[in-house]
Amino acid sequence: MVDRWLRREDERLLTGAGRFVADLRVDGCLDAVFARSEVAHGVLREVDCSAAREVPGVAGAWSAADLPGLPPMPDAREGAATREWPSLVRDRVRYPGEALAVVLGDDRYRAEDGAARVRSRIDPLPAVVTAQEAAGLGHVALRGEAGRPIDDEVWEQAAVVVESSYRQQLLMPSPMECRTILCVPGGDRLTVWSGHQAPHRLRSELARLLDRPEESVRVVVPDTGGAFGSKSAVFPEFITVAWLAVRLGRPVRWIEDRRESLLVATRGRGQDQHVRLAADADGRLLAYELTVEADVGAYPHLGVAFPMQTAWMATGPYTTPQVHATVRSVLTNTMVTYPYRGAGRPEATSPLERTMDVLATRLHLDPAELRRRNLIPPERFPYRTPTGRTYDSGDHVAALDLALRTLDYDGWRAEQARRRADPAAPPVGIGLSCYVERSGGEKGSLHDYVGVEAGEDGGVVARCGAASSGQSHATVFPALVAETLGVEPARVRLIEGDTDELPGGVGSFGSRSAQIDGAGLQHAATLLIEEARERAARLWDLPVEETAWSDGAVHPVRGTAAMGLSELVKRTGPLRIDERYEADMAFPFGTHAAVVEVDPDLGAVRVLRLVAVDDCGRALDPAVVRGQAFGSVVQGLGQALYEGVPFGDDGVPLLGDGLLDYLLPTYAEIPPIELGETRTPTPRTPLGAKGAGESGCIGTPPAIVNAVADALRLDHPERLQMPLTPDVVWRAAA
Amino acid sequence: MKITLTVNDAAYPLDVEPRRVLADALRDDCGLTGTHLGCEQGVCGACTVLVDGEAVRSCLMLAVQCDGVPIRTVEGLAGADGEPHPLQRAFSAERGLQCGFCTPGFLMLAAGALEHDPALGEEEVAALVGSNLCRCTGYEPIRRAITRAARDHQNGQFHDRRQ
Ligand code: FES
Ligand code: FES
Repeated sequence: MVDRWLRREDERLLTGAGRFVADLRVDGCLDAVFARSEVAHGVLREVDCSAAREVPGVAGAWSAADLPGLPPMPDAREGAATREWPSLVRDRVRYPGEALAVVLGDDRYRAEDGAARVRSRIDPLPAVVTAQEAAGLGHVALRGEAGRPIDDEVWEQAAVVVESSYRQQLLMPSPMECRTILCVPGGDRLTVWSGHQAPHRLRSELARLLDRPEESVRVVVPDTGGAFGSKSAVFPEFITVAWLAVRLGRPVRWIEDRRESLLVATRGRGQDQHVRLAADADGRLLAYELTVEADVGAYPHLGVAFPMQTAWMATGPYTTPQVHATVRSVLTNTMVTYPYRGAGRPEATSPLERTMDVLATRLHLDPAELRRRNLIPPERFPYRTPTGRTYDSGDHVAALDLALRTLDYDGWRAEQARRRADPAAPPVGIGLSCYVERSGGEKGSLHDYVGVEAGEDGGVVARCGAASSGQSHATVFPALVAETLGVEPARVRLIEGDTDELPGGVGSFGSRSAQIDGAGLQHAATLLIEEARERAARLWDLPVEETAWSDGAVHPVRGTAAMGLSELVKRTGPLRIDERYEADMAFPFGTHAAVVEVDPDLGAVRVLRLVAVDDCGRALDPAVVRGQAFGSVVQGLGQALYEGVPFGDDGVPLLGDGLLDYLLPTYAEIPPIELGETRTPTPRTPLGAKGAGESGCIGTPPAIVNAVADALRLDHPERLQMPLTPDVVWRAAA
Repeated sequence: MKITLTVNDAAYPLDVEPRRVLADALRDDCGLTGTHLGCEQGVCGACTVLVDGEAVRSCLMLAVQCDGVPIRTVEGLAGADGEPHPLQRAFSAERGLQCGFCTPGFLMLAAGALEHDPALGEEEVAALVGSNLCRCTGYEPIRRAITRAARDHQNGQFHDRRQ
């Protein structure tokens, strides 16, 4: 039915036949519900589960005291002092919603009845939710820097120096499916089903925590309802559920609901930033300094180091000769921060791009022209930045020009001038943002396991360590392998997201799947062709050079007798390539532009146009990439205008009304969005694909904020801090 | 309470607690897991099904309220012959889904609207798309899909199950 369904995923997802973890039925499965702390910080005096245990249908209820063997969260960090993160609170609550007890019931209703009867006593302590407050208390979990400190002279002698402060607010990644885990013990194995981005990592972490051999744990990722970075870790609830499943010898699952997700899912961003940007009188950038105070949540964990991504990417797309970024990650009383789509790069792009606009104003330069004078020209790649990155390739000016053309930049500037001359006309503003991001991962995760296997039936199976949560892997990867082999795409199918299928795997995060797994699959298919030619050469008693490959078959260079894969396998035995493929990181880039109209009296922002020009090298499936880019822009719009986590004085997020309080963009908020592409392949893999899908979260927010600042002609644009709610805009305009 | 849910023309005699939410009855008691739960507070619309032809958030309705009332879920959207509904075809053609978690809700919302008014206008489509949440697509592809399905419908490629 190739013509009926554009993607292989579509038929099942459109007919209700998709299988997400919550859809799986396992006999005798217990539902886990957690009793959670209503305070952000406090000393736990008592948890009493006895009443919960009396509730009909409750199979058990436990606090930390009842489960002395329950392992705590793994601390992946080295160095600075650690603070143990228990899977259930032992003596101190450190973030709102932290789990005090777990109740297992025959179904969710019974388990919730039980959880409602768990009694606890907590003596509240003051809660600290900002990095600044917490740093004063000495709760610094990590200090880091990129680049070298900049001499005072540079600042003193520069023609212009702009200084500003920004807040990158906490965001909820908010996939429509919250977190899920189903643990099924059987024999000496434990099968774990989870909507997850990194099944092999989850397997090794669970195996280590449960103190059992890795091979005894199988992690399977079925259909997953979005992730955006938020489903790539092991969580306290996962540990509790897996541990209880093993201990009780019964299947147990935890299906997070939205209410708990808003309380205890990992958040993204969370940085207070201060910048200094120096330029000469012609607008040539001389130096840039970025100071990051990251509020990383209640416990030291992997996310503590992620603000370093911001430091490494602080240079952005410009030839600034001196750049220095410093980071302090500080523990607070919130759930921890963790990657959310963009992860560190939005936080790098936003302060630089906002400051570029302020600089342009000071220099009386057009913001596009200021950028053009400083963008790294194509001939300077590979480009080594002062903050330690080596950008692979780029044509930044081409992306900028395309964005300006697509937007009709000059036309909008003329319209702006017209409106400025007319006191009755609502002001419009135009905002630009040039970005560069990093895709593929960091050292240690720049590889994945890939495999291609030819079957006797003529079918080809591709395997990789990635895991799709909506990125169309089942369509895109088979098409790539088919193209490499020269066979019909329908003959190739993908197996991923199952740790039993591959010796290892890294997963899907940091825009790595197309770039690393894609290149790896192409490489594996190439190796399969080589192996096929060698086997055929032996069969035919020819030197390998006298064999050739075309259209899915090997044939002698002279002569016509071709042998397809199926016959070759029948005659020579199983043909399977398994590889650990390694590649380097790549640097997608682009320019986003926004036009907004602002009502200064009401503080209302109307986005009139958004343009996003992205360059992610070779696109495996351009329509899939565009789909990702579009959705990403809308998430960026969410950060700019709507999304945020406000806190009460007690440190509890003011999100009691769920998605009525945390405002995800709806269709009513979507402006006309136009996408454009330039294509600069990465030279670091033969495939040439760079990562895609995070660009909108990176490029769009500063474009919108710059446009609002431009509309209001603000002298102090730092009064505009995201999200630009009517209240924020009205105050800034006043 | 003993009730019978009539879902996609099949009868499901059930014994449910009065508090049982329709979505849970459909998913867990009828085994129809195509209806998804994204918020359980009536905001996201992932759980949208048709109850007596009207689109409802099945997380906000009790199963006992639906005793004897015809219900349609995404599993019953295709024609009896297995022919996909124009909306299903259009969602695929316009790339109106990525992860597919929100999709059944949008499909049923649009299916209900199309059955009421086969000539959905631009504004009606915009209002429909604005009723539910999707975190992946950015909505525009969903708008295009519903518009395309409405167009196909007017061109007679739509089999109205009520006829
Ligand atoms: S689950 Fe019913 S509206 Fe979200
Ligand atoms: S397709 Fe993923 S939430 Fe809509």
